[in-house]
Amino acid sequence: MNALEFEGIRRAYRKGVDVLDGVTFSVPPGQVVGLLGRNGAGKTTLIRIAMGMIEAQAGSVRVLGLDPRARPVEVKRRVGYVAEDQILPPFMKAGQVVDLHRALFPTWDEALAERLSRRFELRREEKVGALSKGQARRLALLCAMAHRPELLLLDEPASGLDPAARREFLETAIELLDESGCTILFSSHYMTDIERMADRIVMIHDGRVLIDRGLDELREGFSLALVPRAPGLTRERLLGVEGCIGVRERPEAFHAVLRLEPEEARAAVERQLAIGDVRCQTVVLEDMFVELAGGPS
Amino acid sequence: MQIYVHPGDELPIYRQIVRQVTDAIAGGRLRAGERLPSHRELAIQLVIAPLTVKKAYDELERAGLIGTQRGRGTFVSDRLPAPDPVLKRERLREAAQRLLSQAALSGVGYDEVLSLLEELQKEMQA
Repeated sequence: MNALEFEGIRRAYRKGVDVLDGVTFSVPPGQVVGLLGRNGAGKTTLIRIAMGMIEAQAGSVRVLGLDPRARPVEVKRRVGYVAEDQILPPFMKAGQVVDLHRALFPTWDEALAERLSRRFELRREEKVGALSKGQARRLALLCAMAHRPELLLLDEPASGLDPAARREFLETAIELLDESGCTILFSSHYMTDIERMADRIVMIHDGRVLIDRGLDELREGFSLALVPRAPGLTRERLLGVEGCIGVRERPEAFHAVLRLEPEEARAAVERQLAIGDVRCQTVVLEDMFVELAGGPS
Repeated sequence: MQIYVHPGDELPIYRQIVRQVTDAIAGGRLRAGERLPSHRELAIQLVIAPLTVKKAYDELERAGLIGTQRGRGTFVSDRLPAPDPVLKRERLREAAQRLLSQAALSGVGYDEVLSLLEELQKEMQA
């Protein structure tokens, strides 16, 4: 059974404008999936649908085999969730927030909670409203992890954290991953964090899944082709090349991303468009993201 | 040995590990029979997903450079495989390419490069 399944998910906020327009992918247990997409691409919406916080207008979602709208309590008990703007009650003390979570989760691991609490240097007496952004995020993370969830949903968990706090957050997630082998879906704009953590990349663009690949496969099996401008060469013609999944127009050249290794990609572009002087190379995740998400849609 | 990975590098992280371990074995910094960190230890040390370490170790094992002894850990192989002749040539070719590019940029002619190589060869044999 998959830990998470999205099937044809659709969700519009304004009539006729779909944020998610048929998103389908599933995550087997133990996998770490990095969810990519520009701001507004619908990552948060998708994660909230998995948490049962909002409902998809079409399609189905299964979390640990359950429908989060029909079985909200059971799903929430078995899932850990950290949102970008976690709203913890500002008038409560940090310790009270932890106590509240302990009471809600039957699988709460007090030893783990203690360990994280020491590591994060959380002070029980401190009011939530007085915590720094980093401290508040650590508190949220402790509450999301201490019940040893089977599935962790992390929505931009590191945004606004300084590099040291981000690294500490990653270390904690990796330890947990290693100890309990939980499944993780996380969105982040820090591509290096994604490269550290993820086995697989799902990228949402224009409401749909544009890329769904193993990270290393993406890094080694996809290429960026730099194609010099030539008479009659258009974006559309490049998009017609077999394996081409995105084209970005730059002043001096077209940048095309192909689902092929560099040598194959160069051969494909040169042969199918009868042009020469094409340079192809593999690219890091950050550049891949820019090339695919940065072009006109 | 210390491994250092850089997530924004041209090489994916598992390849960086494969390369560093391979280089360390080739350079004698890792000796036959020496124990490597476990998946877990290395994952936590490098702050990367445990599966990435597994992938790197699997690749090194396939290449015959390391072996896993159940319950004891991962070790550098006692008998290292003969280097792959194709790969060997490819690496050499890359190095030669760099040498020639450097020479061309510095305005050094081909004959001069050859005499430099001869000179170095003599030094190595001396």
